[in-house]
Amino acid sequence: MTIIRTCKAALAASAALALIGPAAPAFAAATIAGQPDISGAWGHAFPRPGQPADPRLNTGPLPAPPLKPDYMAGWNAMREKQKQADEKGEPTAGLEARCLPDGMPTLMFAIYPLEILQTPGRVTIIEEAFSQTRRIYLGEAQGKVGEVEPGYYGHSVGRWDGDTLVVDTLGIKDSVPGYRDIPHSDEEHITERIRLIDPDILEDRMTVEDPKVLEHPWSFRFVYKRLKGYHMLEYVCENNREYTDPNGGTHMQVGSP
Amino acid sequence: MKISGKGRIGVALAAAAGLATAAPALAHHSFAMYDNDHQLKLTGTVSHFQWTNPHVYIELENGDAGAKVKHWTIECANPGILDRVGWKFNMIKVGDKLTVVIAPLRTGEPGALLKQVTLPDGRVFTNGAPAGKALIQ
Repeated sequence: MTIIRTCKAALAASAALALIGPAAPAFAAATIAGQPDISGAWGHAFPRPGQPADPRLNTGPLPAPPLKPDYMAGWNAMREKQKQADEKGEPTAGLEARCLPDGMPTLMFAIYPLEILQTPGRVTIIEEAFSQTRRIYLGEAQGKVGEVEPGYYGHSVGRWDGDTLVVDTLGIKDSVPGYRDIPHSDEEHITERIRLIDPDILEDRMTVEDPKVLEHPWSFRFVYKRLKGYHMLEYVCENNREYTDPNGGTHMQVGSP
Repeated sequence: MKISGKGRIGVALAAAAGLATAAPALAHHSFAMYDNDHQLKLTGTVSHFQWTNPHVYIELENGDAGAKVKHWTIECANPGILDRVGWKFNMIKVGDKLTVVIAPLRTGEPGALLKQVTLPDGRVFTNGAPAGKALIQ
């Protein structure tokens, strides 16, 4: 019975959306002239029971990171250590276990939804987890490696190349691990090509360049579905009951608050 | 078993996540602290409920006769994940009698990860995709 009730509620909700749909443009913020409309909420869309996965959301396999031999050895050793810690039941504490955001580029994996805002001269990307915010300055020149103040999200500038938003990012803090926890240097430079591959599907083709650490650029892609009508939730990391022991293992604090 | 419509989506979500080629870190931490292979089912009364990030917590006074552990701290996913599998911030209240399936901490401490919760009205909810499914019913 509950299933039927929920389905009915979902139908009622879609009907309501259909009703407000045609009127929405009158109230929506104007799209910036000449820019494709990529504003709104985006995320992974999972198939409903019995429905096949949307093939447009398949990112394909992730190519192995082309780390230079020394870094590859270090990365493999770290992954082995993580595996052993997991087997012991004391997983290695990452940034998140300490209530810190994952930063660039991992936030673009969008474990929680992303929201994109298009305003004059700017594209802003907000990730729901930790309310992470990336500001992409359109038409501005990028700074030089070593002169840009390092941050979790780096310094991003962008331009529209036809239907594609090309974003250039550098200045990511040393303490922020690369995608899949690979190391990076101060010469890390990320280029993203973000475009609609369907009216409701957004692709981010990301290329990581880091001449000190990588043999050659590492490219992979993220794909998101438009989450129509989704309202982003706040995320304040206010009740972290996980703590880290001196060996870096994660534990959970038990007992009433 | 009665499982809500949105709960079913949660189950599908778990299946889909298993197929993902590139699932990096979880939003907060690894679940390797919990013993997924020795899940427990118990009934108890809520003494505290926190709808917070990075996790939602249920403090449960175990009402089962002969229970060794009297008080469990049960970690749930976070408000965002739980919203998407049908939870509401106010659906659990102090004093509610719940039946839960949990994966206990491997250390033996009285803490656990929620797998499934049954509310006093009989509705069943999962703990979202990353936490994984209940293996017992």
